[in-house]
Amino acid sequence: MELSESVQRGFQTLADPGSFDSNAFALLLRAAFQSLLDAQADEAVLDHPDLKHIDPVVLKCCHAAAATYILEAGKHRADKSTLSTYLEDCKFDRERIELFCTEYQNNKNSLESLLESIGKSLPHITDVSWRLEYQIKTNQLHKMYRPAYLVTLNVENTDSQSYPEISFSCNMEQLQDLVGKLKDASKSLERATQL
Amino acid sequence: MLLDLSEEHREHLAFLPQVDSAVVAEFGRIAVEFLRRGSNAKIYEGAARKLNVSSDTVQHGVEGLTYLLTESSKLMISELDFQDSVFVLGFSEELNKLLLQLYLDNRKEIRTILNELAPDLPTYHSLEWRLDVQLASRSLRQQIKPTVTFKLHLNHNGEHNTKVLQTDPATLLHLVQQLEQALEEMKTNHCRRVVRNIK
Repeated sequence: MELSESVQRGFQTLADPGSFDSNAFALLLRAAFQSLLDAQADEAVLDHPDLKHIDPVVLKCCHAAAATYILEAGKHRADKSTLSTYLEDCKFDRERIELFCTEYQNNKNSLESLLESIGKSLPHITDVSWRLEYQIKTNQLHKMYRPAYLVTLNVENTDSQSYPEISFSCNMEQLQDLVGKLKDASKSLERATQL
Repeated sequence: MLLDLSEEHREHLAFLPQVDSAVVAEFGRIAVEFLRRGSNAKIYEGAARKLNVSSDTVQHGVEGLTYLLTESSKLMISELDFQDSVFVLGFSEELNKLLLQLYLDNRKEIRTILNELAPDLPTYHSLEWRLDVQLASRSLRQQIKPTVTFKLHLNHNGEHNTKVLQTDPATLLHLVQQLEQALEEMKTNHCRRVVRNIK
């Protein structure tokens, strides 16, 4: 993991009981996780009365350092020993290291989910609806008398947050072909997971 | 159900008894070809010269024949009704038989062509799929994320479109289940009764 100077400096300040007492440290740590993981977190996350006595610039630096480190650790799936080693290097005492590792462990799953969801991907199918109709006539063609399906795929675009739909019609044979191919894909998936 | 042929239509068709059956058969072939691919004025001129009539006469004859065939195909009229409709034109027995044969031979194809004129949604053509496993991304390493990638081929208004889409294994199973239910629906009593009774 490559971490910048500012992260290191921020952490060194966080480690210093003179700048951050135990309570302030715990609060800042929690604030860092909250601002990353809580969708409803607002800018006032650092506005706790027990943090008021600390210089706001220092507060921001440390908060940023902590958040950056948490993201890097999450990205590389750091284990407890990696975390401990780095925090030791930054001169954290045993108690603070334990607290950090515990908080990290508690939030690990949410963190990894968040990181996994970031990034570009193809439009993602989320659901399908269908309609079966019996075609009787059009103005160009009478006496049709045949069934037809209208299939709509609900699709999600991860980056643009848009929800386009893809609709198409098909007859019975075509739907059977589609279902057959989808079943092939799922059987193939099953076999692959058994390897 | 009888076809209703207008005055103008009958006039156009009146050209047909004046030529050989071979020519009428040829006109029939040209009419269907024009339905498939669009009309071509040069053909009219060539035929007009050979038959020693005006190009307009030939055109009307072919168009009259085309309309006769498309209307009959659209309504899917029975043989008997077709014969009765044509009878009013006062053609010879031989010509009537020829026209009937022309109708029966080409009906299916003409109906397919007419079907393409209906309001159209994209139609399914085929599906390609691929299994992938995502191992890492810029924001997270050491992943094992199975994905299914599809290329859906659709036809719309003669154009071929493809859409590349993705889904996860759980949704794939859900898609299969939902669409199988859709197929099953046709086999229910309700649908069978509708199909049996609406004819």
